Amino acid sequence: MGGSNSRRDFLKIAVAGAAGAAILPRAGMAADKSITLLHESSFIPAFDAYMKDTIPAQYEKATGVKVVYETTSVGSLPTRVSTIAETGSGADVTMDILLTPFLFDEKFADLSDIADEVGKKQGGWYDVAKEAAVVNGKWKALPFSNIGQLMNWRTDWFAEIGLKKFPDTWDELYEAGKKLKAKGHPFGFELGHGFGDNHGWLYPLLWSYGGHEVEADGKTVSIDSAETAAAVDFCRKFFQDTMLEDCLGWTDVSNNKAWLSEQISCTNNAESILYIAKRQFEDIGKVTDQAMNPQGPKGRFHLMNSISHSVFNSSPQKEEARAFLKWLMTTDALGDWYNSADSYYQPLLHGYDNAPMWNVEPRNIPFRDALSTAHLPGWPAPASPKLAQSVAKYVVVDMFAKAAGGAKTPDVIKAAAAQLKDIYSV
Amino acid sequence: MVTGYGKIGGTLRVWVPVGFFLIVTLLPFYWMAIASLKPNSELYNPHISSLIVYHPTLKHYADLLSQTNFLTWTWNTMVVAVISTAISLVLGVMLAYPLARMRFAGSSLMAMTVAAVYLVPQPLLFLPLADIINHLNLGNTLTAVILTYPTMLVPFCAWLLLGYFKTVPKDLEEAARIDGASRLQTMRRIFLPLCTPGFISAGIFAFTLSQNEFLYALIFLTNTSVRTVPVGVIAELIRGDVFYWGQLMAGALLGSIPVAIIYSFFVEHYVSGLTSGSVKG
Amino acid sequence: MTIRSEAIAIGRKPAPRTFSLSAWLDRESVFSWAMMALPLAFLAALVGYPFCYGILLSLENRPVAQPGTFVGLQNFITDIHDPIFWQVTANTFIYTTAATLLKMVGGIGLALAMNQAFRLKNVVRALLLLPFIVPTVLSTVAWMWMLDPAFSVVNRILVEFGMPKPGPSWLGNPTLAMCSIIVINTWRGLPFYGITLLAGLQTVPPELYEAATIDGASSWQRFRFVTLPLLKPIILIVTLFSVIFTFADFQLVYVLTHGGPQNATNLFATYAFDIGMSAGQLGLGASVALAMLPALGLLIVGLTLYMRRT
Repeated sequence: MGGSNSRRDFLKIAVAGAAGAAILPRAGMAADKSITLLHESSFIPAFDAYMKDTIPAQYEKATGVKVVYETTSVGSLPTRVSTIAETGSGADVTMDILLTPFLFDEKFADLSDIADEVGKKQGGWYDVAKEAAVVNGKWKALPFSNIGQLMNWRTDWFAEIGLKKFPDTWDELYEAGKKLKAKGHPFGFELGHGFGDNHGWLYPLLWSYGGHEVEADGKTVSIDSAETAAAVDFCRKFFQDTMLEDCLGWTDVSNNKAWLSEQISCTNNAESILYIAKRQFEDIGKVTDQAMNPQGPKGRFHLMNSISHSVFNSSPQKEEARAFLKWLMTTDALGDWYNSADSYYQPLLHGYDNAPMWNVEPRNIPFRDALSTAHLPGWPAPASPKLAQSVAKYVVVDMFAKAAGGAKTPDVIKAAAAQLKDIYSV
Repeated sequence: MVTGYGKIGGTLRVWVPVGFFLIVTLLPFYWMAIASLKPNSELYNPHISSLIVYHPTLKHYADLLSQTNFLTWTWNTMVVAVISTAISLVLGVMLAYPLARMRFAGSSLMAMTVAAVYLVPQPLLFLPLADIINHLNLGNTLTAVILTYPTMLVPFCAWLLLGYFKTVPKDLEEAARIDGASRLQTMRRIFLPLCTPGFISAGIFAFTLSQNEFLYALIFLTNTSVRTVPVGVIAELIRGDVFYWGQLMAGALLGSIPVAIIYSFFVEHYVSGLTSGSVKG
Repeated sequence: MTIRSEAIAIGRKPAPRTFSLSAWLDRESVFSWAMMALPLAFLAALVGYPFCYGILLSLENRPVAQPGTFVGLQNFITDIHDPIFWQVTANTFIYTTAATLLKMVGGIGLALAMNQAFRLKNVVRALLLLPFIVPTVLSTVAWMWMLDPAFSVVNRILVEFGMPKPGPSWLGNPTLAMCSIIVINTWRGLPFYGITLLAGLQTVPPELYEAATIDGASSWQRFRFVTLPLLKPIILIVTLFSVIFTFADFQLVYVLTHGGPQNATNLFATYAFDIGMSAGQLGLGASVALAMLPALGLLIVGLTLYMRRT
């Protein structure tokens, strides 16, 4: 981009003339001895409040370093992180969601030594924590939590067909769904282009039948298998015999809305349904329960939706930022921070397996138990920018959705395989 | 033009088609208004009519104003829309006046260039623009959108004003020139004051486009304190997979009030500016 | 207000110092170019430069936060082999064509209906413009609820007439989902179309109608041979407008379906956004966005030729 300086200067002058100083960028926000932590604003307001007030006060008392908590709106964190990574200026520490550590790996500092120490102090990391944070052998992020997905089910309606416990296998769930749909209580699992509730059950379904999109080498596309075909066949009849047709066009809000308007008896979602139902729709809250995903022929699986923290290499106070993260992940205050969120965030450290946070809402305990069977979408391959592309193109979701819409199993698998080969072979 | 029909026939001739368009246009608004007044228990109840409120409440409005930065967003939107409209009009005049009134080598080529720029769709530019904004370190400032909105507004304003300028008679300008006024003086003092309707229609359209813009605002404004209404409302009232429907609808209605007021003042001029500008141009 | 700020801005130009300089500045070509310099520089910096930068990006393998490597036309070859790319192309054409046609027919109807003398005309005109005023993302959220089969008035009526519950799935069925976004886009764009055409209608001299009536023309003939030809230039212009904005539409789909079900509503803009921003493939994303240009050009040239001929 040689020669762009003059253009920049021109623009700056034009801006100054046109807009005035009030709306110019606030330069030099991070003064000495202060660390800026970037987060997506939380679904749980108390969690943000705790991070904004309590944690910085404690840290400043302990070390004299200020912590500024910068929140960005839901959905815009990737854009914000891109901006900081591309320009090298902005927050020192950022929250990561799902695949962020793998997209920005070169811009993030190595945190392996801190990860070791935190692991030792806090009872050891869950295996899936490494899957979500280790890039090419180095910890590029410190996992903070998982925002898990579980089965949500209406206990009263399941009781009507004689079920007191949530079905243990996909086939049993299918049978229950057929009966419930006949009684006017269909299921509702997202098969559209949302950001989470589709992957949340479709990848676990694929895995539990033994299918996966790519081999562990991260190069060999392996979607075209008898196992995938079995999962796709199941998905077709599962959709056609238990669900609302509208599920094909759903985004992530849809199943929450359908649940709270009592249209569906079972779905797959994060804790938000139970959380809102308990607080705003008490009658529904009482008959809402959560359970682990059913198992298939090859086991039981869950989707990892990890939240972690990374330090930018470009940060002028990298060491202070690393020290802060180390403190954050080892301090006693961490437990209170988790507590503030009603187990919406599930720690990835075994030291918290029996923490008080789990007593607040027993219906959330399956979230903890699901951690040992959770993986990132591209499993068993390590996550990569290629996986991000597969996710952004909804390859696996649309494979299932097309079958649900009536397309033939070999056709949808062939189409998905061709797309995946284009992505992984480059 | 209702001559030749009876009184009832005339009324029907007017109100059947007009009524049809009114219903089609306003039904969603009616729905929004209703939804913003419904308590959640009614809003989520599929067994009662979605077109009637049984127990109206202002809770959603109160929550919107007290729990979000809605007023800040409204202010930001106004600042952004007013400044980028002003910039676009000024730059638009500077392009349109020479193209409409002067003869010079390359004028038709320039006119075509402006038209071509106008055809470049916004999504084509957002990736490189994001990069430019990043490098200028303007992310998360209103300047980022104030600077980028005119990229779509300037060609539009220039095109519309060009048409309008061509319709203004030349006599007054010629008289001023004979009196010794410079071209700049002629343009400022004599010509531009004649073109108010043209400015109003270009301005109102530019204003609407900028207060409604979503893509650039979504990419460039990630901090709640600098967001505009469309992005702010979507980003803060959609928390993960939970929509705050009542507040969203309240925001939709409140967010359109400022513009609706502006429209009601200017719609007459808007129409006349467009008319002479585009029909004859 | 706008005029005043403009006058001030122009007034800041330094006054000519010497007689010869001011004479030189007063030459038509010098004055014109001097006047146009600033806006042209602005457009060059913020449209021309990103446009060229976008072309460069499209020729690179450029993952976010990593340096790019030049790969020639590889990204476009990838696009050509990408079935979603072709689906997106088809979607965008169908969406643009259908929505524009609906807006054109509806807009002419609206203009004709409004071009009568009646009480409350100004109020009605302001009300009709409302869909154009409300931020699209927010009206789309309202539509999202109205299209939910459990709450939709249409579904209720259909179920009442014997259709099995819950009736059609407006966003779940791929064909209906496309129809839904076309309807919402039309709902939003129709008022602008109609009010602008109304402005055009009002310039038709009444004498022409009177003459046509005296010649015994029916009202259809008056419309066909007097109104329509006079409206043609303005119809062409609003249609071009509509085509450009509809073709590049982003927010409606981004909020309503995010391209689902199974990409049935995915458009150029949303697909480019997903690849460029969500997947972080800036180069590939730019190539998708750039592919929009020849397609849009084709549509516009075709439209212009068609309108000229008829």
